[in-house]
Amino acid sequence: MSKEYELDCMGEACPVPLIKLENKLNELEVGDLVIVQIDHSCAMKNVPEWARKQGHNVEIEEVDDGEWEVFVEKAV
Amino acid sequence: MTETNNTQSSLSSRRSSRPSRTRKPKKSQLPKAYVTLAVIILIGLGLGMVSQTLALFWVIGLGFGFILQKAKFCFTASMRDPYLTGSTSITRAVLIAFAITTVGFTAIKYGYFAKGLPIPGMGYVVPISLATAAGAFIFGIGMVIAGGCASGTLMRVGEGFTMQILSLFFFIVGSLWGAHDFGWWKLNFIVKGKAVFLPDVFGWFGAVVLQLLLIAALYIAAEKWENRKNEAH
Repeated sequence: MSKEYELDCMGEACPVPLIKLENKLNELEVGDLVIVQIDHSCAMKNVPEWARKQGHNVEIEEVDDGEWEVFVEKAV
Repeated sequence: MTETNNTQSSLSSRRSSRPSRTRKPKKSQLPKAYVTLAVIILIGLGLGMVSQTLALFWVIGLGFGFILQKAKFCFTASMRDPYLTGSTSITRAVLIAFAITTVGFTAIKYGYFAKGLPIPGMGYVVPISLATAAGAFIFGIGMVIAGGCASGTLMRVGEGFTMQILSLFFFIVGSLWGAHDFGWWKLNFIVKGKAVFLPDVFGWFGAVVLQLLLIAALYIAAEKWENRKNEAH
């Protein structure tokens, strides 16, 4: 059974959200979902770009002005 | 959910099945945008009455900030991401910007040179030495920790990212401290280097060609680096 995790990166400047996500994904099983909460516009670029490059499934939702949730499903 | 073909659509269904938290509907930001635009124009007109140059700086500064924000252009990421994520997209964007400014600034400087006028911007042709490399290294560490270089920090403070207001504060403190001690550094380190203006060494045409070739070589290296990292995973 796959699990869901929330990763609170509010107020963290890049590259901190990316490193946190990388560490989190290393602990997880394939199929698990991580929801990264971000409010740094630069992290909004490099987190999805990195995760897609790693081969994970990624979707982005702007939940409020300048606040995003990045859905990353571990695929590899 | 145990199947291995985790497609994008399965992610969508998982996402929408997630209990949505209570979210306020987004308020339209258009009224604020109109007010901001009006203030920008008024300040511009005010500056224009004081000095045409100030008004020009105002417009260029706003344009620069707008492009930085919209493009997520980040000098820090251009140096950091090749190592951290293996992505060189921003690195290559910065190299393209360097190539464009190389051509543009050479054209301006050559224009003055050809007319026999004093070349503008020659005050920025300063000595280089190991001190330059040492300073660049320290700056690199600082900008990665602070989450942005000078322009990036300013842009993100404008976006409302509160953590970097702290960066901006110490950026100002550091700048003032640096300016205060600059005479000592100049006397003891900077003047011991050698100032090189490439057109003096290679001629105007040679300098442009050499610099563009160097940028092209870095661009190719950046592209190779990105693909090499892709194969490793």
